[in-house]
Amino acid sequence: MAEMRVGDTVERLDVERAWLVDPVAGREGPGEISVRGGRLESVSWLKGAAAKGVGPEGVLVLPGLLDIHVHLREPGNEDAETIATGLAAAAHGGFTSVAAMPNTTPAADDPAVFARVRAAAESSGSPVELLLHGAVTAGRAGERLAALGELADAGAVGFSDDGAPVKTPVLMRNALLYLGAIGLPVFEHAEDLGLTANAEGHEGVVSAILGLKGWPVAGEEAAVARDLALLAGVLPDAPGARLHVTHVSTAPALELVRRAKAAGLPVTCDVTPHHLAFTDEWLAGARRWSWEAVAGDGTVRDPWADRALVGRPFDTATKVNPPLRSADHAAAVLAALLDGTADAVATDHAPHTDVDKHVEFGIAANGISGVETALSVLLAAVAAGKLPLLRAVKALTTGPASVLGARPGRRGAPRGLVVGAAADLVVVDAGATWTVTAETLASRGKNSPLLGRELPGRVLLTVADGRLAYRDGES
Amino acid sequence: MIAAPAPGATWQHRHVLDVDVFSAADIDLVMRTADEMKEILARPIPKVPALRGTSVTIIFWEASTRTRVSFEVAAKNLSADVVNIAAGTSSVVKGESLVDTIRTVEALGADMIVMRHSVSGAPYLAAEVFGGPVLNGGDGWHGHPTQALLDLYTMRARLGDVAGRKVVILGDILHSRVARSNIWTLTAMGADLWLCGPTTLLRGFDAWATRWADGRAAPGHGRFTVTSDIDAALRDAEVVMALRLQRERMDAGLLPSLREYSARFGLTRERLAAARPDALVMHPGPMNEGVEIAADVAVLDRSVILDQVANGVAVRMALLYLLSGGHPEGMSGG
Repeated sequence: MAEMRVGDTVERLDVERAWLVDPVAGREGPGEISVRGGRLESVSWLKGAAAKGVGPEGVLVLPGLLDIHVHLREPGNEDAETIATGLAAAAHGGFTSVAAMPNTTPAADDPAVFARVRAAAESSGSPVELLLHGAVTAGRAGERLAALGELADAGAVGFSDDGAPVKTPVLMRNALLYLGAIGLPVFEHAEDLGLTANAEGHEGVVSAILGLKGWPVAGEEAAVARDLALLAGVLPDAPGARLHVTHVSTAPALELVRRAKAAGLPVTCDVTPHHLAFTDEWLAGARRWSWEAVAGDGTVRDPWADRALVGRPFDTATKVNPPLRSADHAAAVLAALLDGTADAVATDHAPHTDVDKHVEFGIAANGISGVETALSVLLAAVAAGKLPLLRAVKALTTGPASVLGARPGRRGAPRGLVVGAAADLVVVDAGATWTVTAETLASRGKNSPLLGRELPGRVLLTVADGRLAYRDGES
Repeated sequence: MIAAPAPGATWQHRHVLDVDVFSAADIDLVMRTADEMKEILARPIPKVPALRGTSVTIIFWEASTRTRVSFEVAAKNLSADVVNIAAGTSSVVKGESLVDTIRTVEALGADMIVMRHSVSGAPYLAAEVFGGPVLNGGDGWHGHPTQALLDLYTMRARLGDVAGRKVVILGDILHSRVARSNIWTLTAMGADLWLCGPTTLLRGFDAWATRWADGRAAPGHGRFTVTSDIDAALRDAEVVMALRLQRERMDAGLLPSLREYSARFGLTRERLAAARPDALVMHPGPMNEGVEIAADVAVLDRSVILDQVANGVAVRMALLYLLSGGHPEGMSGG
């Protein structure tokens, strides 16, 4: 493969004695794969002596990952990210499909914007599949519906005013009704803006100590309650209506989704790696994982008393919306992933420039550049015994594909190890580490609170649609 | 409860951004250094050459007279060259880069920066960019370390050790950087600290007081008490510090009216009668007389509000001196 470049067909690839994970079959174990002419030619599961010494802490072969929530900033803010750099970052993170949010400038509220970003993806030469969300309202202003039907005809996989909620309840209701007939979901950023004006951090002990304006838990719960009520109300007229709540960050909002699912409402949700593994104490300078921030009895530990504050306080890389929550909420996020309340992990990859981030905390842009660290963060949770590997892989493959429903990406193929189909996979060494730096991140957005940190799970190779998407420089 | 300073205790801090990172020994060193500065201030010519050739730049992004002047007097008493920059609040809104401003000031020869800013945490960004020490003169709702240290100095001058003494901070705790910094210093020194105000202005503080205290006695983690019951708070208090209430709190729907606030939480002679007869009355200024503090309370003999102002100069001199002494490489003279 020495001469191969990104975009070239992977003519020949053999991965021997690796740990294979097939989320479609629900199977994982020692095995080998071979790719010929861009097609997955064989998958063989090893048994007995042949399998000896092969484990999930070594080289893994997973289906290509799907991220249903990224911000690629083009058009309008190409200093922060372009389609090309965003797709390169996705490939580095093991993702072979990403769904871009429409909060660009101009917003993707019209098929013309779709055409423009598709052209950028084509010219990038990346084989990573670019899926597109359309805006719910024109200009994401919350006043008039966007060109929903035309955007659907142009291939939208979902609709969102992300960055903000669909501001007016009546438009949310109308969008659910209208899209119900089309069969596509509304991706809702759940935030009651009346409770979160100028908020800087999760309302709790850390915000009290740091003097940051609080973003209350009730701000998410109230918004999810509104949307679930609207969803239930439209179902008699629009049985195809679907609500997806993205980046859910709090225990009460997750509980509302859990109950709504149990009651049979057509609702799904995703959680982010950062709400799962980071906490609000990171704003004060802590960098331990969320599961290390709770005591044995489940209470949240005090990072000041623990001397866990290793970084400088008010690092704007930790500023994100919804904010990093306290460790008890992070535990609820993890629990929701384990019990299936959360269907998927999505990164909310939000690259920003230094102009927007190297400023005072209160005026810094919200967002974490996360598409390249998501798999590593989940593998850290796996290594800590907090998350089974198969569940983590499902949350990055079949889970998000089921959220997209009608248009699951990669032209409808299941996200498993499918013999005979175009190879779509990631080879990652769970036992090898990499260090997150401005140089190792392919994204233009260097706004990661993991900068400087060594993470488990080094992606060696990403193959998308039979073509090379990423290859580790040292492998 | 005051830990004896280690023999030969030395100053380890590069900046003064907040007091949460100060040990009891650090605080004690500041107090003892401030004692020396008080002696200097008592001289006919209160000036020493400690910071001669050092350029101290004072940048206030938020309007203030007393803190800015206090720093200026302190720096000049130490013979520093003082540059004053009134950045104004508008530049924050307009997005004029704090980073650029700090780099410019450094290029112009600043050895130390004293700053005030309306955004919590801004001095930490300045300290990341600037090559020399940064002193926080107040940031957003977050911290006001020199105020907390001068408050402690003032209490100790009148009462001696504050350990076990009931200290009440009264008023708008939520928006108060003074209260936040005082929590760290007063609990580190073992005071029986009470925070009192309307519940809308106390949000989050009970969790701070109780959730992480759970019996642990680590420095800075002694319990404090949070209450809206002003009578319980003032009962047998030895120090009562009233905080300024700003009119914006009514606009934000946090309080019904100034009149109601004054009636329920204003510090009056009648209320103060519940405290110890010699209880100290404090206020970080500027005061709204007739709102959070009655005019006749502010001028009582046991009001030490003007002591606070005078001690502020000594404490700021002490901090400037400690910061310069700890970092001789930052003293190249600009």
